[in-house]
Amino acid sequence: MEPVEVKVSDLNVWIGGSHILKDVSMKAPPGAVTAVMGPSGSGKSTLIRVINRLIDLIPGARVEGKVLLGSLDALRADPYEVRRRTGMVFQEPNPFPHMTIYDNVAIGPRIHGLARGEELDRLVEWALKMAHLWDEVKDRLRDYPHQLSGGQKQRLSLARALALKPRVLLLDEPTANIDPVSTVKIERSIMEYAKTTMATVIIVTHTPQQAARISDHILFIYQGRVVEYGPTREVVLHPRHELTRKFLGGEV
Amino acid sequence: MPDWRRVKDRLFTVVTVALALLAVAPLFHILATVVVRGGSVIVRGGVSFFTDPPAYPGSGELGGVGPALLGTLWLGLVTSLIGVPLALLTAIYIVEYRESRLARIARVFTSSLLEVPTVLIGMLVFLVVVVPMGRYSLAAGSIALAIVMLPYTVSYVERALEGVPRTYREAGYSIGMTRAQVVFQVVMGIASRGVAAGILIGVAKVLSETAPLLFTIGSARGSYPTGPQSLLEPGDALPLLIFQFAQTPYSNWQDLAWGAALLLTLIILAIFALLRLLFREVKL
Repeated sequence: MEPVEVKVSDLNVWIGGSHILKDVSMKAPPGAVTAVMGPSGSGKSTLIRVINRLIDLIPGARVEGKVLLGSLDALRADPYEVRRRTGMVFQEPNPFPHMTIYDNVAIGPRIHGLARGEELDRLVEWALKMAHLWDEVKDRLRDYPHQLSGGQKQRLSLARALALKPRVLLLDEPTANIDPVSTVKIERSIMEYAKTTMATVIIVTHTPQQAARISDHILFIYQGRVVEYGPTREVVLHPRHELTRKFLGGEV
Repeated sequence: MPDWRRVKDRLFTVVTVALALLAVAPLFHILATVVVRGGSVIVRGGVSFFTDPPAYPGSGELGGVGPALLGTLWLGLVTSLIGVPLALLTAIYIVEYRESRLARIARVFTSSLLEVPTVLIGMLVFLVVVVPMGRYSLAAGSIALAIVMLPYTVSYVERALEGVPRTYREAGYSIGMTRAQVVFQVVMGIASRGVAAGILIGVAKVLSETAPLLFTIGSARGSYPTGPQSLLEPGDALPLLIFQFAQTPYSNWQDLAWGAALLLTLIILAIFALLRLLFREVKL
Protein backbone atom coordinates (compact mmCIF):
# COMPACT_ATOMS: atom_id res chain seq x y z
CA MET A 1 0.00 0.00 0.00
CA GLU A 2 1.42 3.29 -1.05
CA PRO A 3 1.86 6.17 1.40
CA VAL A 4 -0.66 8.95 1.12
CA GLU A 5 0.00 12.56 1.92
CA VAL A 6 -2.91 14.66 3.13
CA LYS A 7 -2.87 18.11 1.64
CA VAL A 8 -5.45 20.76 2.47
CA SER A 9 -5.44 24.04 0.56
CA ASP A 10 -7.47 27.21 1.06
CA LEU A 11 -10.19 25.42 2.96
CA ASN A 12 -13.22 27.39 4.06
CA VAL A 13 -16.14 25.85 5.92
CA TRP A 14 -19.41 27.42 6.93
CA ILE A 15 -21.96 25.72 9.15
CA GLY A 16 -25.30 27.46 9.25
CA GLY A 17 -24.30 31.11 9.18
CA SER A 18 -20.94 30.86 10.91
CA HIS A 19 -17.57 30.71 9.26
CA ILE A 20 -15.85 27.80 11.04
CA LEU A 21 -12.63 27.35 9.06
CA LYS A 22 -10.93 30.26 7.30
CA ASP A 23 -8.40 29.76 4.51
CA VAL A 24 -6.87 26.72 6.15
CA SER A 25 -3.93 25.12 4.40
CA MET A 26 -1.92 22.27 5.87
CA LYS A 27 -0.03 19.12 5.08
CA ALA A 28 0.22 15.84 6.92
CA PRO A 29 2.99 13.57 5.67
CA PRO A 30 2.85 9.75 5.69
CA GLY A 31 4.68 7.79 8.37
CA ALA A 32 4.18 10.59 10.88
CA VAL A 33 1.73 11.91 13.43
CA THR A 34 0.37 15.39 12.88
CA ALA A 35 -1.33 17.02 15.84
CA VAL A 36 -4.05 19.58 15.34
CA MET A 37 -4.27 21.63 18.50
CA GLY A 38 -6.16 24.65 19.63
CA PRO A 39 -8.75 25.72 22.18
CA SER A 40 -12.20 24.20 21.99
CA GLY A 41 -14.41 25.71 19.34
CA SER A 42 -11.49 26.55 17.09
CA GLY A 43 -12.61 24.23 14.29
CA LYS A 44 -10.28 21.26 14.85
CA SER A 45 -12.99 18.60 14.72
CA THR A 46 -14.53 20.21 11.68
CA LEU A 47 -11.18 20.04 9.89
CA ILE A 48 -10.82 16.28 10.23
CA ARG A 49 -14.49 15.78 9.40
CA VAL A 50 -13.84 17.51 6.10
CA ILE A 51 -10.94 15.17 5.38
CA ASN A 52 -13.16 12.06 5.60
CA ARG A 53 -16.34 13.82 4.41
CA LEU A 54 -18.28 13.19 7.61
CA ILE A 55 -18.99 16.91 7.19
CA ASP A 56 -21.58 15.79 4.61
CA LEU A 57 -23.75 14.57 7.50
CA ILE A 58 -23.94 17.99 9.11
CA PRO A 59 -26.98 19.88 7.86
CA GLY A 60 -26.23 23.30 6.51
CA ALA A 61 -22.47 22.77 6.10
CA ARG A 62 -20.75 24.35 3.10
CA VAL A 63 -17.18 23.54 2.10
CA GLU A 64 -14.84 25.33 -0.31
CA GLY A 65 -11.22 24.57 -1.10
CA LYS A 66 -9.23 21.47 -1.89
CA VAL A 67 -8.39 18.33 0.06
CA LEU A 68 -6.06 15.77 -1.46
CA LEU A 69 -5.48 12.28 -0.07
CA GLY A 70 -2.52 11.36 -2.25
CA SER A 71 -3.99 11.74 -5.71
CA LEU A 72 -7.61 11.43 -4.56
CA ASP A 73 -9.54 14.69 -4.63
CA ALA A 74 -11.48 14.09 -1.42
CA LEU A 75 -14.08 16.81 -1.88
CA ARG A 76 -14.96 15.65 -5.39
CA ALA A 77 -14.68 11.88 -4.90
CA ASP A 78 -17.41 9.51 -3.75
CA PRO A 79 -17.62 10.07 0.03
CA TYR A 80 -17.91 6.33 0.69
CA GLU A 81 -14.64 5.76 -1.16
CA VAL A 82 -12.97 8.52 0.87
CA ARG A 83 -14.18 7.03 4.15
CA ARG A 84 -13.09 3.53 3.21
CA ARG A 85 -9.53 4.75 2.85
CA THR A 86 -9.60 6.77 6.05
CA GLY A 87 -10.20 5.54 9.59
CA MET A 88 -11.58 7.59 12.42
CA VAL A 89 -11.66 7.43 16.20
CA PHE A 90 -14.06 9.74 18.00
CA GLN A 91 -13.99 11.59 21.27
CA GLU A 92 -16.48 9.30 22.95
CA PRO A 93 -15.70 5.59 22.70
CA ASN A 94 -18.34 4.19 20.34
CA PRO A 95 -17.94 0.50 19.59
CA PHE A 96 -21.24 -0.84 18.26
CA PRO A 97 -23.06 -1.99 21.42
CA HIS A 98 -25.10 -4.69 19.65
CA MET A 99 -22.07 -6.44 18.17
CA THR A 100 -19.54 -8.65 19.90
CA ILE A 101 -15.97 -7.52 20.38
CA TYR A 102 -14.94 -9.70 17.44
CA ASP A 103 -17.70 -8.41 15.17
CA ASN A 104 -16.87 -4.82 16.02
CA VAL A 105 -13.42 -5.30 14.53
CA ALA A 106 -14.57 -7.57 11.71
CA ILE A 107 -17.41 -5.34 10.49
CA GLY A 108 -15.24 -3.08 8.32
CA PRO A 109 -13.46 -5.85 6.41
CA ARG A 110 -16.78 -7.72 6.14
CA ILE A 111 -18.82 -4.96 4.57
CA HIS A 112 -16.06 -4.30 2.06
CA GLY A 113 -15.55 -8.01 1.38
CA LEU A 114 -11.85 -7.86 2.25
CA ALA A 115 -11.41 -11.02 4.31
CA ARG A 116 -13.25 -13.97 5.77
CA GLY A 117 -12.71 -17.15 7.71
CA GLU A 118 -9.23 -17.60 9.12
CA GLU A 119 -7.91 -14.66 7.20
CA LEU A 120 -10.48 -12.46 8.95
CA ASP A 121 -9.55 -14.00 12.31
CA ARG A 122 -5.91 -13.06 11.71
CA LEU A 123 -6.88 -9.54 10.67
CA VAL A 124 -9.00 -9.08 13.82
CA GLU A 125 -6.13 -10.33 15.96
CA TRP A 126 -3.69 -8.01 14.21
CA ALA A 127 -5.95 -4.98 14.71
CA LEU A 128 -6.58 -5.77 18.38
CA LYS A 129 -2.85 -6.24 18.96
CA MET A 130 -2.10 -3.00 17.15
CA ALA A 131 -4.59 -1.27 19.48
CA HIS A 132 -2.94 -2.89 22.53
CA LEU A 133 -6.20 -4.56 23.49
CA TRP A 134 -5.63 -8.17 22.43
CA ASP A 135 -4.26 -9.49 25.73
CA GLU A 136 -7.26 -8.15 27.62
CA VAL A 137 -9.97 -9.49 25.32
CA LYS A 138 -8.55 -12.54 23.55
CA ASP A 139 -10.55 -14.92 25.76
CA ARG A 140 -13.82 -13.05 25.40
CA LEU A 141 -14.10 -12.05 21.80
CA ARG A 142 -17.76 -13.15 21.87
CA ASP A 143 -18.65 -10.78 24.69
CA TYR A 144 -20.35 -7.46 24.14
CA PRO A 145 -18.51 -4.19 24.60
CA HIS A 146 -20.64 -2.93 27.50
CA GLN A 147 -18.54 -5.11 29.79
CA LEU A 148 -15.38 -3.23 28.84
CA SER A 149 -14.03 -0.14 30.59
CA GLY A 150 -14.14 3.22 28.85
CA GLY A 151 -10.49 2.99 27.88
CA GLN A 152 -10.91 -0.53 26.53
CA LYS A 153 -13.94 0.58 24.54
CA GLN A 154 -11.87 3.34 23.00
CA ARG A 155 -9.12 0.90 22.05
CA LEU A 156 -11.82 -1.31 20.52
CA SER A 157 -13.00 1.68 18.47
CA LEU A 158 -9.40 2.15 17.38
CA ALA A 159 -9.09 -1.53 16.41
CA ARG A 160 -12.30 -1.25 14.36
CA ALA A 161 -10.74 1.61 12.41
CA LEU A 162 -7.36 -0.15 12.04
CA ALA A 163 -8.91 -3.36 10.69
CA LEU A 164 -9.40 -1.58 7.36
CA LYS A 165 -5.70 -0.65 7.37
CA PRO A 166 -6.55 2.94 6.52
CA ARG A 167 -3.85 4.96 4.79
CA VAL A 168 -5.10 7.95 6.73
CA LEU A 169 -6.07 7.66 10.41
CA LEU A 170 -8.01 10.53 11.96
CA LEU A 171 -8.50 10.88 15.70
CA ASP A 172 -10.76 13.44 17.33
CA GLU A 173 -9.53 13.94 20.91
CA PRO A 174 -9.47 10.18 21.42
CA THR A 175 -8.20 10.30 25.00
CA ALA A 176 -10.25 13.22 26.33
CA ASN A 177 -12.37 11.02 28.58
CA ILE A 178 -10.03 8.07 29.01
CA ASP A 179 -8.03 6.72 31.94
CA PRO A 180 -4.25 7.33 31.95
CA VAL A 181 -3.28 3.70 31.31
CA SER A 182 -5.44 3.45 28.22
CA THR A 183 -4.27 6.88 27.12
CA VAL A 184 -0.67 5.68 27.10
CA LYS A 185 -1.64 2.56 25.15
CA ILE A 186 -3.62 4.53 22.60
CA GLU A 187 -0.79 7.00 22.11
CA ARG A 188 1.66 4.16 21.61
CA SER A 189 -0.64 2.45 19.10
CA ILE A 190 -0.99 5.61 17.09
CA MET A 191 2.73 6.19 16.84
CA GLU A 192 3.45 2.54 16.01
CA TYR A 193 0.77 2.47 13.34
CA ALA A 194 2.18 5.57 11.67
CA LYS A 195 5.78 4.32 11.72
CA THR A 196 5.26 0.65 10.85
CA THR A 197 2.73 1.07 8.04
CA MET A 198 3.72 4.50 6.70
CA ALA A 199 0.19 5.69 7.43
CA THR A 200 -0.72 9.33 7.77
CA VAL A 201 -2.05 10.05 11.24
CA ILE A 202 -3.85 13.24 12.19
CA ILE A 203 -4.86 13.67 15.81
CA VAL A 204 -6.94 16.47 17.22
CA THR A 205 -5.98 17.34 20.76
CA HIS A 206 -6.68 20.17 23.13
CA THR A 207 -3.65 19.47 25.31
CA PRO A 208 -0.23 20.71 24.14
CA GLN A 209 1.35 17.98 26.31
CA GLN A 210 -0.19 15.24 24.22
CA ALA A 211 0.82 16.99 21.02
CA ALA A 212 4.38 17.25 22.34
CA ARG A 213 4.46 13.57 23.39
CA ILE A 214 3.32 11.93 20.21
CA SER A 215 3.39 14.21 17.21
CA ASP A 216 6.00 14.94 14.58
CA HIS A 217 4.25 18.06 13.36
CA ILE A 218 1.89 20.49 15.02
CA LEU A 219 -0.81 22.56 13.45
CA PHE A 220 -2.12 25.24 15.80
CA ILE A 221 -5.57 26.58 14.95
CA TYR A 222 -7.21 29.54 16.62
CA GLN A 223 -10.72 30.73 15.78
CA GLY A 224 -10.72 28.85 12.49
CA ARG A 225 -7.37 30.14 11.25
CA VAL A 226 -4.01 28.44 11.10
CA VAL A 227 -1.72 30.27 13.47
CA GLU A 228 1.34 28.10 13.27
CA TYR A 229 2.48 24.94 11.56
CA GLY A 230 5.82 23.19 11.92
CA PRO A 231 7.86 20.33 13.36
CA THR A 232 6.71 19.59 16.90
CA ARG A 233 10.08 20.40 18.48
CA GLU A 234 10.25 23.80 16.91
CA VAL A 235 6.66 24.75 17.65
CA VAL A 236 6.94 23.66 21.26
CA LEU A 237 10.38 25.06 21.99
CA HIS A 238 10.43 28.15 19.79
CA PRO A 239 6.89 29.18 18.96
CA ARG A 240 6.96 31.98 16.46
CA HIS A 241 3.60 33.39 17.28
CA GLU A 242 2.48 35.08 20.48
CA LEU A 243 -0.84 33.13 20.48
CA THR A 244 1.00 29.81 20.30
CA ARG A 245 3.19 30.80 23.21
CA LYS A 246 0.12 31.68 25.24
CA PHE A 247 -1.64 28.44 24.35
CA LEU A 248 1.38 26.36 25.29
CA GLY A 249 1.55 28.26 28.57
CA GLY A 250 -2.09 27.51 29.24
CA GLU A 251 -3.24 31.11 28.89
CA VAL A 252 -5.61 30.75 25.94
CA MET B 1 -51.72 19.85 70.22
CA PRO B 2 -51.70 17.78 67.02
CA ASP B 3 -48.81 18.12 64.64
CA TRP B 4 -50.65 19.49 61.60
CA ARG B 5 -47.80 18.91 59.22
CA ARG B 6 -47.81 15.23 60.02
CA VAL B 7 -51.56 15.01 59.73
CA LYS B 8 -51.54 16.74 56.35
CA ASP B 9 -48.74 14.48 55.14
CA ARG B 10 -50.69 11.39 56.19
CA LEU B 11 -53.87 12.69 54.65
CA PHE B 12 -52.09 13.36 51.39
CA THR B 13 -50.68 9.83 51.28
CA VAL B 14 -54.03 8.25 52.04
CA VAL B 15 -55.85 10.28 49.39
CA THR B 16 -53.20 9.56 46.74
CA VAL B 17 -53.26 5.83 47.38
CA ALA B 18 -57.06 5.78 47.42
CA LEU B 19 -57.30 7.63 44.11
CA ALA B 20 -54.70 5.39 42.52
CA LEU B 21 -56.63 2.33 43.62
CA LEU B 22 -59.82 3.88 42.26
CA ALA B 23 -58.10 4.39 38.92
CA VAL B 24 -56.87 0.81 38.54
CA ALA B 25 -59.90 -0.85 40.12
CA PRO B 26 -61.96 -0.92 36.90
CA LEU B 27 -59.05 -2.55 35.09
CA PHE B 28 -58.83 -5.30 37.67
CA HIS B 29 -62.58 -5.65 37.66
CA ILE B 30 -62.62 -6.11 33.89
CA LEU B 31 -59.72 -8.55 33.94
CA ALA B 32 -61.20 -10.56 36.81
CA THR B 33 -64.62 -10.69 35.17
CA VAL B 34 -63.15 -11.77 31.84
CA VAL B 35 -61.04 -14.45 33.49
CA VAL B 36 -63.88 -15.85 35.62
CA ARG B 37 -66.69 -15.74 33.07
CA GLY B 38 -64.56 -16.48 30.03
CA GLY B 39 -62.60 -19.15 31.86
CA SER B 40 -65.71 -21.11 32.78
CA VAL B 41 -66.94 -20.97 29.17
CA ILE B 42 -63.63 -22.22 27.78
CA VAL B 43 -63.49 -25.03 30.35
CA ARG B 44 -67.05 -26.04 29.46
CA GLY B 45 -66.35 -25.95 25.75
CA GLY B 46 -63.01 -27.71 25.91
CA VAL B 47 -61.07 -28.19 22.69
CA SER B 48 -64.15 -27.62 20.56
CA PHE B 49 -64.32 -24.03 21.83
CA PHE B 50 -61.19 -23.35 19.80
CA THR B 51 -62.15 -25.39 16.76
CA ASP B 52 -65.93 -25.42 16.23
CA PRO B 53 -68.10 -22.77 14.66
CA PRO B 54 -70.70 -21.19 16.95
CA ALA B 55 -73.81 -23.28 17.67
CA TYR B 56 -77.27 -22.07 16.58
CA PRO B 57 -78.49 -19.14 18.64
CA GLY B 58 -80.55 -20.21 21.62
CA SER B 59 -79.90 -23.89 20.94
CA GLY B 60 -78.46 -24.49 24.38
CA GLU B 61 -75.30 -25.84 22.84
CA LEU B 62 -72.13 -23.80 22.87
CA GLY B 63 -70.08 -24.55 19.80
CA GLY B 64 -66.88 -22.54 19.48
CA VAL B 65 -65.08 -19.61 17.95
CA GLY B 66 -62.87 -21.57 15.54
CA PRO B 67 -63.46 -19.50 12.40
CA ALA B 68 -63.07 -16.21 14.30
CA LEU B 69 -59.84 -17.38 15.95
CA LEU B 70 -58.41 -18.47 12.61
CA GLY B 71 -59.63 -15.23 11.06
CA THR B 72 -57.90 -13.17 13.73
CA LEU B 73 -54.64 -15.06 13.16
CA TRP B 74 -54.90 -14.47 9.41
CA LEU B 75 -55.67 -10.82 9.96
CA GLY B 76 -52.65 -10.53 12.27
CA LEU B 77 -50.38 -12.14 9.69
CA VAL B 78 -51.57 -10.25 6.63
CA THR B 79 -51.83 -6.94 8.47
CA SER B 80 -48.22 -7.38 9.60
CA LEU B 81 -47.10 -8.25 6.07
CA ILE B 82 -48.66 -5.03 4.78
CA GLY B 83 -48.23 -2.77 7.79
CA VAL B 84 -44.80 -3.62 9.19
CA PRO B 85 -42.67 -2.90 6.11
CA LEU B 86 -44.69 0.23 5.43
CA ALA B 87 -44.36 1.46 9.01
CA LEU B 88 -40.64 0.61 9.23
CA LEU B 89 -39.77 2.35 5.99
CA THR B 90 -41.89 5.38 6.92
CA ALA B 91 -40.19 5.65 10.32
CA ILE B 92 -36.74 5.24 8.79
CA TYR B 93 -37.52 7.87 6.21
CA ILE B 94 -38.83 10.30 8.80
CA VAL B 95 -35.75 9.88 10.99
CA GLU B 96 -32.97 9.58 8.44
CA TYR B 97 -34.21 12.23 6.03
CA ARG B 98 -35.67 14.54 8.65
CA GLU B 99 -34.47 17.59 6.75
CA SER B 100 -36.58 16.86 3.71
CA ARG B 101 -39.97 18.40 3.23
CA LEU B 102 -41.55 15.03 2.43
CA ALA B 103 -40.31 13.60 5.74
CA ARG B 104 -41.90 16.45 7.64
CA ILE B 105 -45.16 15.94 5.77
CA ALA B 106 -45.02 12.19 6.46
CA ARG B 107 -44.50 12.88 10.15
CA VAL B 108 -47.51 15.17 10.36
CA PHE B 109 -49.66 12.76 8.34
CA THR B 110 -48.88 9.68 10.39
CA SER B 111 -49.44 11.48 13.66
CA SER B 112 -52.76 12.89 12.42
CA LEU B 113 -53.77 9.38 11.41
CA LEU B 114 -53.69 8.62 15.13
CA GLU B 115 -56.57 11.04 15.62
CA VAL B 116 -58.80 9.60 12.89
CA PRO B 117 -61.59 7.45 14.37
CA THR B 118 -60.92 3.88 13.31
CA VAL B 119 -64.49 3.43 12.19
CA LEU B 120 -63.82 6.04 9.50
CA ILE B 121 -60.86 4.02 8.31
CA GLY B 122 -63.20 1.04 8.02
CA MET B 123 -65.62 3.11 5.97
CA LEU B 124 -62.83 4.35 3.73
CA VAL B 125 -61.69 0.81 3.01
CA PHE B 126 -65.31 -0.17 2.43
CA LEU B 127 -65.55 2.47 -0.30
CA VAL B 128 -62.14 1.90 -1.83
CA VAL B 129 -61.74 -1.87 -1.54
CA VAL B 130 -64.97 -3.63 -0.61
CA VAL B 131 -67.28 -1.91 -3.08
CA PRO B 132 -65.02 -2.35 -6.14
CA MET B 133 -64.34 -6.00 -5.18
CA GLY B 134 -68.03 -6.58 -4.71
CA ARG B 135 -67.67 -8.37 -1.40
CA TYR B 136 -66.36 -8.30 2.11
CA SER B 137 -63.03 -9.98 2.63
CA LEU B 138 -60.28 -10.65 5.17
CA ALA B 139 -57.92 -8.85 2.79
CA ALA B 140 -60.01 -5.68 3.03
CA GLY B 141 -59.98 -6.03 6.82
CA SER B 142 -56.21 -6.41 6.79
CA ILE B 143 -55.81 -3.24 4.74
CA ALA B 144 -57.98 -1.33 7.21
CA LEU B 145 -56.04 -2.73 10.16
CA ALA B 146 -52.71 -1.92 8.53
CA ILE B 147 -53.80 1.70 8.23
CA VAL B 148 -54.79 1.69 11.90
CA MET B 149 -51.47 0.11 12.85
CA LEU B 150 -49.32 2.51 10.87
CA PRO B 151 -49.26 5.57 13.17
CA TYR B 152 -48.69 3.51 16.32
CA THR B 153 -45.79 1.53 14.93
CA VAL B 154 -44.30 4.51 13.10
CA SER B 155 -44.22 6.69 16.20
CA TYR B 156 -42.75 3.93 18.38
CA VAL B 157 -40.10 2.97 15.84
CA GLU B 158 -39.37 6.63 15.14
CA ARG B 159 -38.66 7.25 18.81
CA ALA B 160 -36.52 4.11 19.04
CA LEU B 161 -34.41 5.15 16.03
CA GLU B 162 -34.05 8.70 17.27
CA GLY B 163 -32.80 7.36 20.59
CA VAL B 164 -29.67 5.94 18.93
CA PRO B 165 -26.83 8.38 19.66
CA ARG B 166 -25.41 10.17 16.62
CA THR B 167 -21.91 8.94 17.35
CA TYR B 168 -22.81 5.38 16.26
CA ARG B 169 -24.08 6.66 12.92
CA GLU B 170 -20.82 8.58 12.48
CA ALA B 171 -18.85 5.47 13.39
CA GLY B 172 -20.73 3.51 10.74
CA TYR B 173 -20.10 6.10 8.04
CA SER B 174 -16.47 6.43 9.11
CA ILE B 175 -15.73 2.83 8.11
CA GLY B 176 -17.30 3.41 4.72
CA MET B 177 -20.81 2.12 5.34
CA THR B 178 -23.53 3.24 2.98
CA ARG B 179 -26.62 4.94 4.35
CA ALA B 180 -28.57 1.69 4.06
CA GLN B 181 -25.87 -0.23 5.92
CA VAL B 182 -25.82 2.38 8.67
CA VAL B 183 -29.60 2.19 9.00
CA PHE B 184 -30.01 -1.57 8.88
CA GLN B 185 -26.78 -2.80 10.49
CA VAL B 186 -26.13 -0.09 13.04
CA VAL B 187 -29.19 1.97 13.90
CA MET B 188 -31.79 -0.81 13.67
CA GLY B 189 -29.46 -3.18 15.48
CA ILE B 190 -29.00 -0.86 18.42
CA ALA B 191 -32.69 0.05 18.48
CA SER B 192 -33.85 -3.53 17.92
CA ARG B 193 -35.88 -3.75 21.11
CA GLY B 194 -37.67 -0.48 20.49
CA VAL B 195 -38.34 -1.48 16.90
CA ALA B 196 -39.71 -4.87 17.95
CA ALA B 197 -41.82 -3.18 20.62
CA GLY B 198 -43.25 -0.81 18.03
CA ILE B 199 -44.17 -3.69 15.73
CA LEU B 200 -45.69 -5.89 18.44
CA ILE B 201 -47.59 -3.04 20.07
CA GLY B 202 -49.00 -2.19 16.66
CA VAL B 203 -50.01 -5.81 16.04
CA ALA B 204 -51.53 -6.15 19.52
CA LYS B 205 -53.43 -2.93 19.01
CA VAL B 206 -55.02 -3.99 15.73
CA LEU B 207 -55.80 -7.55 16.83
CA SER B 208 -58.21 -6.11 19.37
CA GLU B 209 -59.74 -3.52 17.03
CA THR B 210 -63.40 -3.93 16.12
CA ALA B 211 -64.41 -0.77 14.30
CA PRO B 212 -62.21 -1.16 11.19
CA LEU B 213 -63.68 -4.64 10.67
CA LEU B 214 -67.35 -3.64 10.86
CA PHE B 215 -67.58 -2.65 7.19
CA THR B 216 -64.81 -4.79 5.81
CA ILE B 217 -64.72 -8.48 6.70
CA GLY B 218 -68.41 -9.34 6.78
CA SER B 219 -68.65 -11.61 9.85
CA ALA B 220 -68.81 -14.94 8.00
CA ARG B 221 -68.95 -17.33 10.93
CA GLY B 222 -69.65 -20.64 9.28
CA SER B 223 -66.55 -21.31 7.21
CA TYR B 224 -62.89 -21.58 8.05
CA PRO B 225 -60.31 -19.40 6.30
CA THR B 226 -57.89 -22.22 5.62
CA GLY B 227 -55.56 -20.85 2.98
CA PRO B 228 -54.52 -17.71 1.18
CA GLN B 229 -57.49 -18.00 -1.18
CA SER B 230 -59.78 -17.42 1.83
CA LEU B 231 -58.35 -13.93 2.14
CA LEU B 232 -60.52 -12.80 -0.73
CA GLU B 233 -63.62 -14.12 0.99
CA PRO B 234 -65.59 -12.83 3.95
CA GLY B 235 -64.37 -13.95 7.35
CA ASP B 236 -64.68 -13.37 11.05
CA ALA B 237 -62.48 -12.14 13.88
CA LEU B 238 -62.58 -12.41 17.66
CA PRO B 239 -63.29 -8.73 18.50
CA LEU B 240 -66.06 -8.57 15.91
CA LEU B 241 -67.62 -11.75 17.29
CA ILE B 242 -67.46 -10.36 20.82
CA PHE B 243 -69.03 -7.09 19.72
CA GLN B 244 -71.89 -8.76 17.87
CA PHE B 245 -72.57 -11.75 20.15
CA ALA B 246 -72.54 -9.66 23.33
CA GLN B 247 -75.50 -7.70 21.95
CA THR B 248 -77.65 -10.74 21.19
CA PRO B 249 -80.30 -12.05 23.59
CA TYR B 250 -79.01 -15.64 23.26
CA SER B 251 -77.15 -16.87 26.33
CA ASN B 252 -75.01 -19.37 24.41
CA TRP B 253 -73.75 -16.60 22.13
CA GLN B 254 -73.13 -14.30 25.10
CA ASP B 255 -71.08 -17.10 26.63
CA LEU B 256 -69.05 -17.42 23.44
CA ALA B 257 -68.37 -13.68 23.59
CA TRP B 258 -66.99 -14.06 27.14
CA GLY B 259 -64.81 -16.96 26.13
CA ALA B 260 -63.56 -15.06 23.08
CA ALA B 261 -62.78 -12.06 25.27
CA LEU B 262 -60.53 -14.16 27.48
CA LEU B 263 -58.92 -15.79 24.45
CA LEU B 264 -58.18 -12.40 22.87
CA THR B 265 -56.75 -11.11 26.15
CA LEU B 266 -54.45 -14.13 26.35
CA ILE B 267 -53.26 -13.63 22.78
CA ILE B 268 -52.38 -9.99 23.50
CA LEU B 269 -50.61 -10.94 26.76
CA ALA B 270 -48.67 -13.62 24.88
CA ILE B 271 -47.45 -11.02 22.40
CA PHE B 272 -46.09 -8.84 25.18
CA ALA B 273 -44.52 -11.83 26.93
CA LEU B 274 -42.83 -12.67 23.63
CA LEU B 275 -41.43 -9.17 23.41
CA ARG B 276 -39.93 -9.38 26.90
CA LEU B 277 -38.51 -12.81 26.25
CA LEU B 278 -37.02 -12.39 22.80
CA PHE B 279 -35.70 -8.86 22.71
CA ARG B 280 -33.28 -7.49 25.23
CA GLU B 281 -32.22 -3.93 25.65
CA VAL B 282 -28.90 -3.30 23.92
CA LYS B 283 -26.60 -1.91 26.61
CA LEU B 284 -24.65 1.08 25.44
